[in-house]
Amino acid sequence: MIFIYLLSGLFLGWSLGANDTGNIFGAAVETRMLKYKTAALIASIFIFLGAVFEGSGPSGTLGRLGSVDALGGAFTVALAAALTITAIVRTGIPVSTSQTIVGAIIGWNYFSGRLTDFQNLLTIVSSWVIAFVLSGIIAALLFYLISPVINKGKIHLLEQDVYVRLGLIIIGAFGAFSLGANNIANVVGVFVPVTPFKDINLGSFTLSGIQQLYILGAISIIVGIYTYSHKVMRTVGKDIFHLSPVTALIAVTAEAIVLFIFASRGLQNLLLSIGLPPIPLVPVSSTQVIVGAVVGIGLVKGGKNIRYNILGKVSLAWIAAPVIAFFFAFIALFIVQNVFEQTVCQKTIYTFNRTTISQIEKEGLDVNHLSSVNGHKYYRELEIYKELKAEKYFKRSEISKIIRIAEVYPLKVDINLLRDKGLVNRFSKEQWEALFKLEGREFKHQWQLKEALAKDPSWQRRKEITERDKLHNQDLEEQFNLLFRTLYFPPA
Amino acid sequence: MALILKTTRFIETQIDTFLDILSDSATTFEMAMEDYLNNRIEQFETRLAQIRENEHRADDLRVSIERFLYERTLIPENRGDVLAILENTDEVIDNIKDSLVQFSIEMPKIPESLNDLWMQTTKASSNAVEQLSFAVRSFFRDLAAVNNYIHKVYFFEREADHIGERLRREIFNLDIELSQKSQLRFFAMHIEKISDYAQVVCDRLSIYAIKRQL
Repeated sequence: MIFIYLLSGLFLGWSLGANDTGNIFGAAVETRMLKYKTAALIASIFIFLGAVFEGSGPSGTLGRLGSVDALGGAFTVALAAALTITAIVRTGIPVSTSQTIVGAIIGWNYFSGRLTDFQNLLTIVSSWVIAFVLSGIIAALLFYLISPVINKGKIHLLEQDVYVRLGLIIIGAFGAFSLGANNIANVVGVFVPVTPFKDINLGSFTLSGIQQLYILGAISIIVGIYTYSHKVMRTVGKDIFHLSPVTALIAVTAEAIVLFIFASRGLQNLLLSIGLPPIPLVPVSSTQVIVGAVVGIGLVKGGKNIRYNILGKVSLAWIAAPVIAFFFAFIALFIVQNVFEQTVCQKTIYTFNRTTISQIEKEGLDVNHLSSVNGHKYYRELEIYKELKAEKYFKRSEISKIIRIAEVYPLKVDINLLRDKGLVNRFSKEQWEALFKLEGREFKHQWQLKEALAKDPSWQRRKEITERDKLHNQDLEEQFNLLFRTLYFPPA
Repeated sequence: MALILKTTRFIETQIDTFLDILSDSATTFEMAMEDYLNNRIEQFETRLAQIRENEHRADDLRVSIERFLYERTLIPENRGDVLAILENTDEVIDNIKDSLVQFSIEMPKIPESLNDLWMQTTKASSNAVEQLSFAVRSFFRDLAAVNNYIHKVYFFEREADHIGERLRREIFNLDIELSQKSQLRFFAMHIEKISDYAQVVCDRLSIYAIKRQL
């Protein structure tokens, strides 16, 4: 049953392998600089590695946008995204899986009455535009650097051919790695909160449940590469971007760099260590990124050969894809829940009683403005939002905080369960000791477990002075989410 | 890296050898013409034999280069252009040979008064071919220099046309049989045509150079 649910995600993976590999190797294969077989092999290996080892960053961002909490919901969200892609691709607009999946997740949020994190949504949407522009800038700079070497340098044509070929292989591999890391979130990202897989300990190395999910997603991408990408590569290389091998190398380099920037935790840590602000890890569209690169090169060359209608199509996709996916997801969730009687979201209760109100006060929020909700029980976050919004006192982020406190989420600390799920290596020795002390205890709200654990320094948040502290808190938050998902103890 | 470039270097050498043959043929043609005008027929025939040998070698090299480029799918984007350049350049060598063979068969009598103009036309054509070899070499190694050499080829082609016209007028001003005039005109035009062929290759080369530029 679990695998049937995963099918829609795997279909997205297949579509990614079939379509997006063309953005990396299309021009190289079409200009016959690389054989299709070589391109497919390199793409398969590196997309797999990128997805499994660097894929967690962008997935986390998607998870924060909306944490789909039921397998049926994740299935439907991925299915709605896949249907949207199929529908839009027919219009010739370079549609992005990232944009459709975001629209579909918001559709789920709306259907299940959850509040969408606007801050996160803004980060994601702005990243699409930034990625497009950044790719153009990088490609233009690379063009400036490389064109004198080609035009005025004294490299023999045949030697240049060898270097470009090597470049296409190496950069292609890097691009495939970045694509896997950046886009695996689109394939299985919505399944992350509900992953059915347990951690597997392989000596000093642990293969987490999420990584196993990524592996499955990566395999579906590889199937996509081997079954359908040849045709797409030829189309991409011939019709959309008819590039010379050198220009193709520049465009693919820009694409790979941008995908990597928006996917790499390593790069994020490096930026933090030298005191620079980190770049958000967001799944971006490889098609739009390479279009950005081609436009950048076109502008440097005088802007004569740019097909401006393609720019219009890209901008349209930024809006059309999420909106269509939103409606598809909403309708599909309705059908799956009411016709097929599948659980698409957990039924969550939100209570405003003495315990939760005093906790809200502890968080520094003025409880005098909670009179409209005090003593009530709610089943939808949006209802609470509407009530509190009418008070015209709280900001959206504060309402979000109040909702998290009011949410009833029964938990029972069960060390054996954590061990059974293979989470041994996920927590430090000190964190385990703190968990042992709470063995058997039950909590009604997530924050209660957090508070109980925070008595131990290993579970404490840091004051966010530096970006490194922010990252520590983010990691801690992920550990908490893992605990919550595992220790969820619904009343019989 | 040296290992990866092994095949490439081998073909580079072959292309260089091919262009050396082109350059040698131009010089040999000039020397053969001088021998002919100075009645050193035996030496002329030796030069002709040299050019025949050159032409064979050039043909073999061209075929070998073409085969390598196709078999190893090298320079896929420029392969067609490179093959066209090599084939057209090879035709220039063929033309040089054909011209000398025609001299060897017909042995036209060239009045001594024409010697100077005859040699000037020959030199202009031979210089055009020489510059063509530089232009093609630069197409492979030094793209920025191609246009300079192409310019030189055009210059020598115009020079060959200009002097060739004077030569033909001179021929028809001479007091000789019309049949001889006609025969000499044919040979004069044959010599001019060599530079014309060099120009045709350059016309293509200038387009290919633009295509190669980023």
